[in-house]
Amino acid sequence: MFFRSFFMQAGWNYERFQNLGFAYCLQPALEKFYPDPEKRKAALLRHLGLVNTQPYMASFVAGNVAAVEERAAASPDAEAALKSMPGVKQALATSFASIGDRIFWGRLKPMTVQLCVLVWSAGGFFGWLFTGLDSPVSVALLFAGPGAGIAVYSAFAVYWRWRGLKVGYACGGASSCGLDCADWSRLIRRLSAAGFAMSLAIAALAFGLLWRANSGAAPADLAFRLGLPVAVMALHRVSRAYGRSVFFAAGLVLAGSLLLFSVLSFSPFKLYL
Amino acid sequence: MTAVLRAVISSALAGLLGLDSVQAGQFLLSRPAFVGPVLGWLNGCPLEGARLGILLELLYIDFIPVGGVVPPNGTAAAAAAVLAHTAGLAPSLSFFVGLAAGALFSPLDYRLRSARSAWNPLVEAQVRAGVFSLRRWVARSLLIENAAMAAYVFAWFAAAALLAQVPGLARLYPGTDFAYALMPWLGLSGLYFRFRTQIYKKG
Repeated sequence: MFFRSFFMQAGWNYERFQNLGFAYCLQPALEKFYPDPEKRKAALLRHLGLVNTQPYMASFVAGNVAAVEERAAASPDAEAALKSMPGVKQALATSFASIGDRIFWGRLKPMTVQLCVLVWSAGGFFGWLFTGLDSPVSVALLFAGPGAGIAVYSAFAVYWRWRGLKVGYACGGASSCGLDCADWSRLIRRLSAAGFAMSLAIAALAFGLLWRANSGAAPADLAFRLGLPVAVMALHRVSRAYGRSVFFAAGLVLAGSLLLFSVLSFSPFKLYL
Repeated sequence: MTAVLRAVISSALAGLLGLDSVQAGQFLLSRPAFVGPVLGWLNGCPLEGARLGILLELLYIDFIPVGGVVPPNGTAAAAAAVLAHTAGLAPSLSFFVGLAAGALFSPLDYRLRSARSAWNPLVEAQVRAGVFSLRRWVARSLLIENAAMAAYVFAWFAAAALLAQVPGLARLYPGTDFAYALMPWLGLSGLYFRFRTQIYKKG
């Protein structure tokens, strides 16, 4: 089940979301619990219904459902043993989706980018900030940046997939099963704080590098070159406030640049000397 | 010929890495920050690949794949950008080509996901008939997704190679270069505001 949980989203579709992946993950357990093909067929069809949750946290739901199915298979009254299962499955899927989205998509994923930028900067590669800079850099360092983020993120994700299966199986059947196995709010708060601290550090680093790269410039030039990135950041903020995506801001920047430097043929300049 | 062969291999690899996004794993191997340097290294431009990758990543991190939302595809973006560069476009223009390629993959992804809804009655009929193996449906889903991504990326490479032949294209470069130089700041802004909002909302 653990290996198959990595395919939880295979066959994702709009009608029943992760039903195929979920049933595929559960299949080894069902084969073990139901040697009778008719009972196994009914069990598999039960889990081909709608399932929608966060892929890493789906293990909590799968472990829980496996325990319920095991109990039902051993019970003389299987129908009674399975009565509450659809409700519990739905409730857990929704709860864990909310927790998983906040932890993995909302925090850890952006943090892998921050980690990548910090690793590259520690290795002396600032090509992520200065697009015209072609200083020599080792391929190992180029891979170390994203590799560090992937390693940290994947360790976390694999751990929760495994723990989710174990915890879910241990307390199967309960509608709060696994929700109390960690202080999720505290974890989310701490990740937010760590992410914000890294954002501030990267912003300070970026402006510090830009300042240093323009150290020989006249004060007005320096102010202009530092002000331009601030204006771009403000444009992004305003775009967000009006419900526009970052693509809208990027499109505006591109359109303005093309108009000034390609159509009107103003002399282009670099952000750094 | 070598360039075309490399593009074919790169497209196939992009299709494989793209599976990590939804279909299998979710180890973030499909993110532009990883796809960029891998394809850049494969095509002899690791630095530019890494730069295109991280800058696309910084913009794409703004989108969260919650619920049934189909966000712009980062794998398609990074692969198309790197291959556009190897096809002869300047890195700055390649970046914006990649940005467009990633955004335009969403409708294709939406169609693939919708088409798979039709599988549900077929899977159920198969199970009712006593054939319990779901492996072939999982494998079919992975194969189709892989092929779609690979074909899509290669189509962008072909389009970029044609675009590179357009006379006077270099006139665009002062504008695209300047806009490209500002992209890191746009990305850093997204990163900053994402966490600032979370702190403000207290988790």
